[in-house]
Amino acid sequence: MSTSRQKIAFLTTGATATFPALIEAAVSPSFLEALAAQQYTELAVQHGADGQQLYEKLVSKAESAGSGVKVTGFALDTTGLGRHMRRAQSSNNAEEGVVIAHAGSGTILDAMRTGVPTIVVPNPSLLEDHQQELADELEAREYVVKGRVEDLAGALARAEKLRQRTREWPPVNSGTHKGLKGILDEEMGYLD
Amino acid sequence: MAYYIRALLITTFLLSLPLTYLLVWRLKYTLSLTRPKPIRHGRRNPREPTHLLIVLGSGGHTAEMIAMLERAVNSPSPQSAQSLDWRDFAHRTWVVGEDDELSATKAKEFEEMATSLTSQETLMRGKVRAYTDHGPGSYEIKKVPRARAIYQSPWTSPFSVLRCFLACWSILTHGVYPEDVSAMQHIPADTKGRDYPDIILVNGPATGTVMVLASVALRFFDYKGAATRFRMRTLYVESWARVKRLSLSGRILAHMVDRCLVQWPLLDAKKTGPGRAEFQGCFV
Repeated sequence: MSTSRQKIAFLTTGATATFPALIEAAVSPSFLEALAAQQYTELAVQHGADGQQLYEKLVSKAESAGSGVKVTGFALDTTGLGRHMRRAQSSNNAEEGVVIAHAGSGTILDAMRTGVPTIVVPNPSLLEDHQQELADELEAREYVVKGRVEDLAGALARAEKLRQRTREWPPVNSGTHKGLKGILDEEMGYLD
Repeated sequence: MAYYIRALLITTFLLSLPLTYLLVWRLKYTLSLTRPKPIRHGRRNPREPTHLLIVLGSGGHTAEMIAMLERAVNSPSPQSAQSLDWRDFAHRTWVVGEDDELSATKAKEFEEMATSLTSQETLMRGKVRAYTDHGPGSYEIKKVPRARAIYQSPWTSPFSVLRCFLACWSILTHGVYPEDVSAMQHIPADTKGRDYPDIILVNGPATGTVMVLASVALRFFDYKGAATRFRMRTLYVESWARVKRLSLSGRILAHMVDRCLVQWPLLDAKKTGPGRAEFQGCFV
């Protein structure tokens, strides 16, 4: 049993069409470093049957870089991805992690319902780039973070911010108020 | 006979007019928003010992009070980027209900946390300003009978409120010397105890409301210079739970305290709130 708690990032590319660019961006030394910087312990990848070869090639390269983040992978789970996503939820031995998903609507729904901060990455090579619209709107309403393959680490940082903003009190953007100190100073007549 | 009674009534009426006028004028003066604050020469000046009085209710009220104080000493205020230095108040009086051991414990825990915080900071800076520093200061916990128990019948509450009022009066006046001690060249030997609080900080519980009423009464009668020495600024913080309508304490105190702070924007007097209610952000 390890002393530190787990923190899992779960990546899914969907069942219908694989998204090799997303797998490449995630299973890379630079992104694993970004995960390690945010105290993640594991990157779990659902890569699809087509992505198997690509995944294996990338893992061997990434592991030699030695970021300390464990990478695990599987092709598909016909019983659904729910239980895999829920591994990223917080529990007795795990801190809440993140779900990184391709921007397919079914996957987004599943991910948002786990309550874990979600990064959605639209696949621009699909017909009419049709995943953009929903991802844009959900990001504007602060339900998810929209990521790009070119800057997955940036999206990870924004997901941490989203987690803080929705979970932490006092709110981070609570304005330029005086605070109780300011009021007490005013009443005491301190002018410094 | 009837003539005399009528004459007596008319005389009484005529006499009571100026008296009523005088009382109303005095009350207006006492509750004036523009009443001056005492002049101070720097923070933590040993010649001007400061005194903060905090009323802890029970349960939620205590939790909110401790939460806002913890936030004030631990995280910098957004405007000044500084957090509250607990040593700014040389003495702290905590008032708790007589059967409220939990609040007394919370006060003790907060004092230990807040004073260790500032002494650490002093150690880190590597300098103690010997001339102005009076160290972590002192505190005491005073007990008062409850103003009103939960579910207490309104018929008996005037008596318990009066009992609480007298206890608050005696806490506020205990050991107060009628003149400004800090301005004296030679401090007389009989000034035991300390001056009125500079600030009375209360939130929702009935005991807090009674404490404010007691301080207003002291200023009304200028007892031991309470009014002429500009003592006891009163600060009421409405409960965080009140979003749309002020609590009973808030509705009473909104016209009486020097600052009435609400924690949701809708309650600001400029919007829908009564009296002096002002929204200066959330404190808890």
